[in-house]
Order: sequence, then structure tokens, then C-alpha cells
Amino acid sequence: MQINTDDAILSIHLLVVPHLQASRARLFKEYKEVQREKVADPDIQLVCDDTNIFKWTALIKGPSETPYEGGIFQLAFAVPEQYPLQPPQVRFLTKIFHPNVHFKTGEICLDILKTAWSPAWTLQSVCRAIIALMAHPEADSPLNCDSGNLLRSGDLRGYQSMARMYTKLAAMPKKG
Amino acid sequence: MAETEDAAEKANMNDEGRSSSTSKDFDPCPICLGSFLQEAYLDRCFHKFCYKCILNWSIYISRLSSKSQSTLTCPLCKGINYSIVYGYDGTSFQQHYINQDPPKQSIFFSKAHRFRLQSYYREPGTIYDKFSIPKYWKHRRYLQLNKWLQSWLKREIQALTQEEDVDIIVHHILVDIIVHHILGVIESFVRLSERECSSDITPYQKRQEFKALISDAAKPFLTGRTEHFVNEVELFICSGLNMEAYDEVYLESLSSVTPSVSEVGEERNHGKTENIPYLHFFDVDSDAE
Repeated sequence: MQINTDDAILSIHLLVVPHLQASRARLFKEYKEVQREKVADPDIQLVCDDTNIFKWTALIKGPSETPYEGGIFQLAFAVPEQYPLQPPQVRFLTKIFHPNVHFKTGEICLDILKTAWSPAWTLQSVCRAIIALMAHPEADSPLNCDSGNLLRSGDLRGYQSMARMYTKLAAMPKKG
Repeated sequence: MAETEDAAEKANMNDEGRSSSTSKDFDPCPICLGSFLQEAYLDRCFHKFCYKCILNWSIYISRLSSKSQSTLTCPLCKGINYSIVYGYDGTSFQQHYINQDPPKQSIFFSKAHRFRLQSYYREPGTIYDKFSIPKYWKHRRYLQLNKWLQSWLKREIQALTQEEDVDIIVHHILVDIIVHHILGVIESFVRLSERECSSDITPYQKRQEFKALISDAAKPFLTGRTEHFVNEVELFICSGLNMEAYDEVYLESLSSVTPSVSEVGEERNHGKTENIPYLHFFDVDSDAE
């Protein structure tokens, strides 16, 4: 049996493109919104990769009155083709000491990035959720056991000083 | 290639963004963030989406869970919903129940049902000259009840509500019609015995009374289409025909006046089936992931 390769390529294209287009169109809308809202939320700076709209980075400010205050944390977004039906994959590029963030990989344990995802979330609102998570660590589902154990054993001071130290080491501009 | 296109498009977007930033009250679909294409609402929380956006999400979600669910949580408020309401045109709407197969509907929803439903999308008027309604009331033909009325009512209400089991509504309306009929018979009997003609109630009054009665009975179920429905019921009763003959006359009068009607019907059907290949795209795509 002979298969016309042109037809095959075309049909594959037709199968994939509707979703690619939907996700791309939506990301363009978010891009526009980010450009417009740049001033509105000074805590979040979302930047799209110059050549690939499915790759984004974000700079978020550590929330005040937390050990992360004064730090600037970088996040990496990998947006799947089925976005917004599927959530984006987000991880910390900046080292952070937090019970729900993997210390080595920067992987984040957050329900809205997994089972509780809804297509009404945007990259911007995901950033806001991550800032909220930084302020309210969930010690019962830890990715960073050391950090989780400190909190669970009630050693708030220990957790805070460790978190503050890593914020100073990794998330603040070096002096001199 | 595609990536440089992205960059170019982004540059364009930049300029557009500035011009549209003035319109602050723009309220987009929460899923595609674009303006609404075919507005759709969830049946409990009434949050609004594009029909395709919310349908895609419901299909995607049902694929993720192992057992099929008949509910959909709203992407905005997480409220439980059972159906998507769409195609609202001022008087009527379509309803898609979560995880209900569309072919199921066609078991009872025949061509005749579709035809009857279509007749509600047209301007009434053309058919009304076919049967002389005033004569019917003047000559008190209502004293003879149309025996096909029950089955006709059932089909009509099935077509309008797009539900199969409408017996409760049919009986509700039918009881009122029969009571009206019996009262009419008694009245005329009294009149005969008293030997006085056309004194108290005129045929016009009788007609208005009849229409108000059906209207009251049908309104809770048919809402915006009640008035049209009442006219159709009257027309059917006045015709004195059975369902097949009535349909034929109806079709005849339509095709002679508006030949475009059948095309409108075709379009409607077409729109429905068009959804199916779209779902297939979805199928293959998600399996490939």
C-alpha cells in the first residue's frame, strides 16, 4: 500500500494545529494583557521567550513579612500545547527553602498546578498563587522534608532563619 | 519558522494592545480570553463561556477521570453544574447535558419533531389563512374535541422542550382543554334548553377564554414560546385534521411561500453534525500526548 506523504503530513498538521492555534491565541492574549498590566502588579514581572511563546519566565517579589521578603525569585514556565486545558509546568529557577518547593529541582507542589487546575487561571494568576504559597507554606505535603519537618515540629524560628538565609544567598543582589 | 512568526506577531500585538487598552470594560471568555463566540452558560452558576471552550473543557475533564461523570465543575467558581445552555435567541435555547450522547436524542426526536421546532423559528401568519379560525369559533365546532389532540400535543411539546418524557406537561394542558370543552358542552346544552341564542357569551369571548387557559397551563414549561404555542394549538384544533394530514397542509403552505425554510433546517442539522469531526480531532490529539 502506498501512502502519499504530503497527505499524511497535511493530515497530521490538521490534527495538531487546532489546539496549537487555540493555545497560541490564548497566550498572545495573555501577552497583551501582561504588557498592559505591567504597572498594575509591581510584584510580578512576566516575560515571554523571544522566540517561543510556550516558554515564559517570571520574576516575583518575596512577600513582605515572610522570610522571603526582599528577594527576587525567578520562575520558569513551560506551557503545554493543550493549554489552557492542561496547566503550565512551573518551577523555581532561584534556590528557595520552602516546604512545598523541591530544593534541587525547584518543582512546586501546588494543587492548582495539578488536580485543581482550571482553564480560567492565567500565567499571571498562577504567579499570584505562588506568592500566596510562599506566604502560607503547607507543611503537610512537603517536597522539601527538612523545611517541612522544621515547621511540623513547631520550630518556626529554625524554618524562618533557614529560609531567610537562602533568600539572602540566592534571591538578593550580591553586594559589592 | 513558526517561532519567528511568533515574534513578528507579538510585535503586532504590541501595537494593537495599546489601542485596545482604552476599553477597560471588555469582558472576555475566561477560557480563550477572546470575545465570546456563541455564548454559553452553565445551568447552575450561570457563568458565561464560549460554547466550544466550555464544551472542550468538559470533554477534556471527563477523559481525565476514569468513570464517566454527569457533572461539570465551573472553571470560575467550582460550582457543580449539569448542563451547558447555549444558542439562546431570545425565546429558546439548546441544552447540552454533560456526558450525554447526542445520538440518544434522535431516538424520539424525529424529522417531524425537528420540523415542528423549526416552525417556531419563523414568522407566524402564512398558515393561518389555510383554516378559517373565526368560523370554527362562530359555529361552535369546539363542541367536538379533536381526538388526535393528545398525540399532537405530545409531539409538539417534545419538539419544543427537546425532552422525551413530557406526559406530565401534556396532561396538565389537556386537562384544562377538556374542562373547557365540557363547560362548553354544558353551556350549549343549557342554552338549548333555555332556547335563547347568543346572549351571554360571544364566540370571541369563548376564544379568548380558551387561549388564556392554555397559555396559563403552558407558560411554566414553555416560557417565551407560550404565545406561539397557543396559536399553534388553536390552529391544529381548528383544522380538524389528524397529525399526518395537518403536517402535509402545513408543509404545503410553507413551501409555497418561503422556499428557504428547508434550507434553514438543513443548516441547523449541519451545525449539529459539524461538532462531531471537531471532537474527533480532540480524540486523536489527546491520545497522541
